[in-house]
Amino acid sequence: MKRVAAVAVNTFRETIRDRILGVIILFALAMIVASLWLASISLGQEDRMIKDFGLVAISLFGLIVAAFVAASLVRKEVERRTVFIIFSKPVSRNEFIWGKFLGLASTMFTVLAGMTVFLFLLAWLVAKSPSGELLLAGLLIYLQLLVVMAMTMLFSTMTSAILASVWGVCVYAAGQLSHNVLSLSRTGHTEVAHALSTVVFYLVPNLSAVDLRAAVVGEGATSWPHLVAWCVYLVAYIVIALMAAAWIFGRKEF
Amino acid sequence: MRLLRRVMAVALVVLCVAVVVVYQSNRPAAAHPNPVVFVPSEGFYRNFSPSVRVTIADVYWLSAIQYYGEHLKSDHRLDSLPAMVKLVTALSPHFTQAYFSGAFAMLDAKRPDVAYGLLKRGYAANPRDWHFPFYLGFFVYACASGSQKDAVAAGWYAKAARLPGAPPFVSRLAAELAAKGNETQTAIDLWTQVYCQGGSYAEQRAVTALDRLLPKDKVAREKAVAGLESTVPHALFAQFVADLFQGYK
Repeated sequence: MKRVAAVAVNTFRETIRDRILGVIILFALAMIVASLWLASISLGQEDRMIKDFGLVAISLFGLIVAAFVAASLVRKEVERRTVFIIFSKPVSRNEFIWGKFLGLASTMFTVLAGMTVFLFLLAWLVAKSPSGELLLAGLLIYLQLLVVMAMTMLFSTMTSAILASVWGVCVYAAGQLSHNVLSLSRTGHTEVAHALSTVVFYLVPNLSAVDLRAAVVGEGATSWPHLVAWCVYLVAYIVIALMAAAWIFGRKEF
Repeated sequence: MRLLRRVMAVALVVLCVAVVVVYQSNRPAAAHPNPVVFVPSEGFYRNFSPSVRVTIADVYWLSAIQYYGEHLKSDHRLDSLPAMVKLVTALSPHFTQAYFSGAFAMLDAKRPDVAYGLLKRGYAANPRDWHFPFYLGFFVYACASGSQKDAVAAGWYAKAARLPGAPPFVSRLAAELAAKGNETQTAIDLWTQVYCQGGSYAEQRAVTALDRLLPKDKVAREKAVAGLESTVPHALFAQFVADLFQGYK
């Protein structure tokens, strides 16, 4: 546990100092502020526009961090050969993967918490409608992005960083639209397409089961048991992805 | 040779800047707005997750406002507005402001029928919001024609008055219109409800209106008032009777 924490702290320091992270955060904050402009042309719907477009900005920029930073996290260590220094110490490959994930998860938490609190304050000051659901939505976006991070790390143990990033983004998109894949295949009459889409439907993480972003703007309500079940499901998915990543990474020869 | 190369590089930059400036300065400041724009069917987005649908609805809401403003200032043609508002409300059925603003924009598009249909859909999706039957009553009263319009409008106002949050004037409006539409018994019932809501102004208005609607003959009036007993709280009924028989011995 101590060794995992040591790798995690080191990864957190490394990623939080990354210049690209700063640029992404700046862009995200700019996007959130840009939602003010959208709000001003929305015919009295400032509150709704700030919250909706603000959460979209948080999701998209969080996705960039999750997919691109997670993909390079393990590969960078291998390419720079720093992984040999780490493995010369009593750190197993399993601990290395978990430590890397937890380190980036801490960075992601810091980034998303900053952006969500910023959006919350903006909604409070500009639209005069502070909403606790907004903070909860930020937390759930974080959980969704952790799944993307875990999947991207799994892909990065098998392929190049660029390809892993692309697959990470695809997992996010497929996770949001997996329901569509199934219903679209049902409209066609090809058995193969239907079977394939059923596999995709069950394999891809269900990232859209709880829609707090919609609930924040008054579309539908949140059921707590459903929300808790979904969170447990996502955590289980993360554990499976990381265990698979650790297993593959453990069998790699450098 | 070196100087020549520098001069040529500078000349090339100047030429390119000139091309960009000339092109941009000749660009029309505003494109001529097209009154007919492509609006996809909501069926295309139906299976998207609610949060994606909400964001798409918001994007279309902003473009509908832009479209409305542009055409209201220029050619007054709002051909695609009904489809735009329909799409927004189909993707985000609880976006109440889209129904209200959309319905009033439909009046500018000279489509009160679409406005009425839109508000009816909004009421079906938000049955606890009193604004919908209220605006439906308003649209019937302001835009419909025929002898039944007052009674129909009164019906909508009466529905609005029964919903939580509806201000007291809604039930007065309903009662007034029911009387105007010759729905005497409905008007009597509605004014009785106004009386029961309390407040000296509402009571005074209700007594004046009921005095006008109820039979003048004492026996007939007593019979009519007795029929209202079940709709008036027991504690209030004696005062109600006293108010309605002020001029009678």
